[in-house]
Amino acid sequence: MAIEIPNRLEDLPVEELRWVGRHVRRREDPSLLTGRTEFIDDVVLPGMLHCAILRSPFPHARITGIDATQAEAAPGVTAVVTGADAQLWCNPARTAPEGWGTLCLATDKVRYVGEPVAAVAASSRYLAEDALELIEVDYEPLDPVVDPFAAMDPESPLVIEDKGTNVMLQRVFTWGEVDRALAEAAQVFTESFRWNRLGANPTETFGAVCAWDPLTLDLTVHGSIQSPSSFGLGRAADLGIPSNKVNVKSHPHGGSFGGKGGARGATIACLLSRKADGKPVKWIEDRTEYLTAGGSQAWDRHYEASLAVDEDARVTALAVTLVDDLGATGEGFGAISAAKPLAAFTGPYTIPVARYDLTLVATNKVPASPYRGMGPPPHFFVLEQMMDIAARGLAIDPAEFRRRNFIPPDQFPYTIPSGNEYDSGSYEEVLDSALDLAGYEELRKLQAEARTEGRIVGVGVASAIEPGVFDWNAYAIVGMPQTGVPEGATVSVDITGMITVRVGFALEGQGQYTLVSQLVADYFAVEMDAVRVVQLDTQSAPPSFGPGGSRLGVAISGAVLGACRRLAEKLAAVAAGLLRAEPDEIELRDGRFRVKGRPGSEMGVAQLAGTMLARSDLLPPDIDPRPEATHVWTAPGRTAADEEGRAKSYLTAAQAVHVVMVEIDPDTGFVEIVKYALADDCGTRLNPVVVEGQTEGSVAQGIGAALFEEYVYDDRAQPLTTTFMDYLTPTVNDVPALDKAVVVTPSPFTPLGAKGCGEGAIHTTPAAVMCAVNDALAPLGVMAREVPASPHRVWELLRRSEGPS
Amino acid sequence: MRTRLEVNGEVHEHEHEPRLLLVHFIRDLCGLSGTNIGCDTTSCGACTVLLDGESVKSCTILAAQVDGQSVTTIEGLGTVDDMHPMQQAFHEHHGLQCGYCTPGVVLASISLLAENPDPTEREIREGLEGNLCRCTGYHNIVKAVLAAASVPGAGEIPA
Ligand code: FES
Ligand code: FES
Repeated sequence: MAIEIPNRLEDLPVEELRWVGRHVRRREDPSLLTGRTEFIDDVVLPGMLHCAILRSPFPHARITGIDATQAEAAPGVTAVVTGADAQLWCNPARTAPEGWGTLCLATDKVRYVGEPVAAVAASSRYLAEDALELIEVDYEPLDPVVDPFAAMDPESPLVIEDKGTNVMLQRVFTWGEVDRALAEAAQVFTESFRWNRLGANPTETFGAVCAWDPLTLDLTVHGSIQSPSSFGLGRAADLGIPSNKVNVKSHPHGGSFGGKGGARGATIACLLSRKADGKPVKWIEDRTEYLTAGGSQAWDRHYEASLAVDEDARVTALAVTLVDDLGATGEGFGAISAAKPLAAFTGPYTIPVARYDLTLVATNKVPASPYRGMGPPPHFFVLEQMMDIAARGLAIDPAEFRRRNFIPPDQFPYTIPSGNEYDSGSYEEVLDSALDLAGYEELRKLQAEARTEGRIVGVGVASAIEPGVFDWNAYAIVGMPQTGVPEGATVSVDITGMITVRVGFALEGQGQYTLVSQLVADYFAVEMDAVRVVQLDTQSAPPSFGPGGSRLGVAISGAVLGACRRLAEKLAAVAAGLLRAEPDEIELRDGRFRVKGRPGSEMGVAQLAGTMLARSDLLPPDIDPRPEATHVWTAPGRTAADEEGRAKSYLTAAQAVHVVMVEIDPDTGFVEIVKYALADDCGTRLNPVVVEGQTEGSVAQGIGAALFEEYVYDDRAQPLTTTFMDYLTPTVNDVPALDKAVVVTPSPFTPLGAKGCGEGAIHTTPAAVMCAVNDALAPLGVMAREVPASPHRVWELLRRSEGPS
Repeated sequence: MRTRLEVNGEVHEHEHEPRLLLVHFIRDLCGLSGTNIGCDTTSCGACTVLLDGESVKSCTILAAQVDGQSVTTIEGLGTVDDMHPMQQAFHEHHGLQCGYCTPGVVLASISLLAENPDPTEREIREGLEGNLCRCTGYHNIVKAVLAAASVPGAGEIPA
């Protein structure tokens, strides 16, 4: 039976909301603040062993021999596994495009530095690492595949010989008459860009504790796992066991941002447990492992883009060519990152036709993984640079140029050429809020003054869309197996009226348990403290995907509100029986089930639940006496992709405008952000303080992306950024003060009108910072085409420039 | 070898290998898992504890080096029902998201206030340079510490 989920705050059954939409302090805080939360490295199971992994020092080499006998005999060691074990027990990963996945341990050859070659389970991590030194591996180095363009040459060495090519996928998506639009345009601007590899780097790396019951062959995996159900499916597929034999229990994790890969490590720990007669095996990735070869490296991209405009400065076409270096086969869902820009290909603009020429290439670098935003942030960097290039070419103010091309509010829902539908938006209002907040005209004046003094100052205005609440269907176009993205919750009331909500995902920082409590507390008009949120493992939880793709806030709201509604219907049926009324005469208001038009004839939640549990004699016949209901929510109306990849893939489209002013040091090339203002619209804000926190964190990551984060490889594919001294994430002194404005355009399609907002600002920040950098550089006749705009790169540009004109 | 430490006011004495890091002594031998590990190059500050009242990165020190000294970890501050003023300030100002950096940041902030009870925003930022937080963008952390500075006891270790 379809259940109606309230779309507006006013639809909740209370006179006045006490929790939803208000600044609510998070319930998860006290346990985190006092060090009582159980992260995965805190888990200790009886008999537990510790895993250490031996990794390849070569980017590309044949393995000609491996001898682990000494390690097997080393102190404290219980089990050792090598590629031979993987060959015996495992299947290749299915998280790369069909046929490109490899086994969890290298067999015939290694394909990137850091690829697991063998692993040891011992009584302590110290002893396990000692034993690694006793494993002898003979390698015969091969020429590495480093550059994706060279990789496409038929003479190139091959990452996977059987494939006969390093090109994993080549496809051109054409939406409308792009060639004609380009030919008929008043002007066409074309430019190329480079976005270098970067990644999530949550403060906690990945970890898992795996235990394989040797009798039943049931597998239990504890871990810092973002999506427990799909992680369970992955281990079942890797290990060739039925999916219902895998039970995954995710633990609260120290951040994720998509970069909680770890699939290989977990499968290896499972194998070790199998060899160790089912003893639990703990694998905690250390930071060097994470940076060298963890599930973090994303978006290693080479772009070329063309933008066509007509006489009225309206954009008439966008064509983007992307060569995406997925490393050794992109087994961390790298292909999805390349496909996701389809969900917002033309950004916030009314660009009528577009083309995406997409090539995914394998090289001997770490397999590409997800990162916050999952693909669109680099795409928007490119689109927004093109918007600025065109504005400069047309001599129009960049903010005005964007305004002219925004999708107007009366056109929503709006279908973009690549097929996705945007739910709602007020783009001009967001632009005006951001410009006001920034004091845009004043900034331009300051800039003009600075320029007369010979200083290098720029202002950037950028806008982007954050697609929210994803549906997996869209990813069939890059050969990704479907896992489904449902979210479920069970709400139950006990005999004293206390409420418990059971969910299937772990905390990772976005305050979801607080949100669940807010929703239930307002639905039944109880205190938030009367609601307890409990996390179940995958064998007991309702279907759940967990956080990802800016979905969970919306999806869990749908699940919880649906379950509340179903529970309310049950309670109403009981109330009808007890109050001698028809069920449809009963309404829930402020926690009371009352007979409409009969004042005083009413019952409370606790009373009804108590009656159900204790007084079967009073219940109407055929009533299920459980004061409990489950609802599983999926995004409505999402479609499978057509032959051109067009799909309604994401349910919501949040939008933002960021205004940034930078000053560049002429001597060092260092970019200083002197002003940062933003306005954003993600629909109804269910807990504004949490939404703002997401924005602030995402801006910081976006600044890192724009200015300094980069996984660097040398020209032989050796990684050079394997510690936090080389891979630079923003410190407290790298983030500027932020001015924020809020616009609220509720979604007409979602629970309470909320939109996905967890990934947030990283969609816009790198674009905006780079627009500012290029605005600063424009008078010097140079352009920063490469991200990050590190001091060295900018200094090189300054050196080549013509000097201030 | 044997090391004796006073941890949160209690004496812990354990036999261990000489190479054991202080952070592992605290986590594995004392069973206090609130001190987290985020890197292996002294870069992130997740492992920050107070050693005789001063903030140190416990992944950088051998347990044996600090024999006889006294350590305060996050468990030595407030409890869930009765948080330390610094913990309370982080709660009120949403100074944490995933909470993994938080024990280290809270302890570093207490030692910052102990040294400088009335810091400017700039001084707070300088004082927390060694603690990485990937979630918050730091604004609310700085706000929390600024707010805590006006609360009695925020710069003190509970006796
Ligand atoms: S774990 Fe000690 S500084 Fe990172
Ligand atoms: S709150 Fe997650 S790292 Fe700081």
